[in-house]
Amino acid sequence: MDDLEAINRDVDTNASKISARHVQVHYGDTHAIKDVDVDIMERSVTAFIGPSGCGKSTFLRCINRMNDTIDICRVEGDICIDGEDIYDRNIDPVQLRARVGMVFQKPNPFPKSIYDNVAYGPKIHGLARSRADMDEIVERSLRRGAIWDEVKDRLHEPGTGLSGGQQQRLCIARAVATDPEVLLMDEPCSALDPIATAQIEELIDTLREKYTVVIVTHSMQQAARVSQKTAFFHLGSLVEYGDTDEIFTNPKDSRTESYISGRIG
Amino acid sequence: MTTKHISGAFDRDLEHAQAILMKMAGLVDEAMLRAAEALETNNLEMADAVRRNDKAIDELDESIKIDCARILATRSPNAGDLRTVLTVMSIATNLERCGDYAKNIAKRTSVLAHAHPVKDASPALRRMQKAVVDMMTDALNAFTRRDLEIAQEVRARDREIDEMYNTLFRSLLTHMMEEPHSITACMHLHFIAKNIERMGDHITSIAEQVIYLVSGDLPDDDRPKGDLTSFSNPDASGGTA
Repeated sequence: MDDLEAINRDVDTNASKISARHVQVHYGDTHAIKDVDVDIMERSVTAFIGPSGCGKSTFLRCINRMNDTIDICRVEGDICIDGEDIYDRNIDPVQLRARVGMVFQKPNPFPKSIYDNVAYGPKIHGLARSRADMDEIVERSLRRGAIWDEVKDRLHEPGTGLSGGQQQRLCIARAVATDPEVLLMDEPCSALDPIATAQIEELIDTLREKYTVVIVTHSMQQAARVSQKTAFFHLGSLVEYGDTDEIFTNPKDSRTESYISGRIG
Repeated sequence: MTTKHISGAFDRDLEHAQAILMKMAGLVDEAMLRAAEALETNNLEMADAVRRNDKAIDELDESIKIDCARILATRSPNAGDLRTVLTVMSIATNLERCGDYAKNIAKRTSVLAHAHPVKDASPALRRMQKAVVDMMTDALNAFTRRDLEIAQEVRARDREIDEMYNTLFRSLLTHMMEEPHSITACMHLHFIAKNIERMGDHITSIAEQVIYLVSGDLPDDDRPKGDLTSFSNPDASGGTA
């Protein structure tokens, strides 16, 4: 039965969710992203890999316009989600970020209660009409973050009191609370121990049933384990993009092979 | 991929596993040659040595499997490195089986030494044995040189071995019908021929592993097969087909 589900989910990934064309990013004089074209598939996990400074995080941050917050950063080209240009003048970046959630390297819960951490997004976007509504959103989000059972009896204790792995799952719960379509994860496990990492990876696998997930990771094995598509960035260019299985067993580009087999870094 | 890994120990691990594989290949090659020679010259001492030396081959096979398991666990190899480890493991298994067949030939040699000699079987077996030994040399060359062309050529050559086996099978069958007192010897010679034919299959598998190692794809088209003895019936008119 599990196998059948896996097959069904793979078939689901034929539709493109995010489409980027000729994307260029400059930080002042530095040309950080060079003419990247990529189609990210709906309800799948796409991993961005590459050595430090290759532009993978920069490109990830373009997808929810996080780079807008950096003065010297200039983004050119088109990035569309469901065919809609997210850099269009009519798009409100704050609304966009409710649709495109983000999880960072280090867990960063607000210095508030577990409940308020999750309720924050729905509150500012006006997604709950009543207290009961909000309770429901909080519970659903914490369940999707695979942390409900661990925190349901202490929802009003501070989020910062949780362990690192629990804090990261709380952050994922917070990110899904606004019911986004896309989840961006920038090295979500690099500050976690192997057990917490395995829990997050398991969670990522369930998240792709509902969301389009894009993950930046330095762990090649993690990319191989959690993603269906892998994109390899090198010196600001997208060198190779394809099925994860293919990239890790038989890459087409010699630079990809050198990187994933530990010959260039 | 000829460039070195950032981790030099990774390079050493991979090189070590391949060096052991080559050492094992040397022993198997020698076992095949000596089993053939012992059979041809009725040299029971040599046959005995082949039987004893199989243990060393088995030990190397085990050592390769342990090395490869360690590389998989500690290095998590990808791409060409992953294919190298998988190929080394697979080739070691093929070599180990070839060693077993050589050992079996040597065992039968001891029995044949006391049996009634069978006319014409010896030159045909010698030709077959030479053909598989050559195939083995070329398959291992294809592996060390990562040569797709040689590997493909070796793979195609298995058909010749199969055809030699068919011919020998037919002539042994005829012989047994004509001279029932030679049945024991003929049966042993037939098993020897079958062992050599099976070596050919394992060498073909080595060649296919090399194709996978170099190209990333296992050959999927059906290779030419020539062993048709499973369909043969001596009672039917026209004998074997």
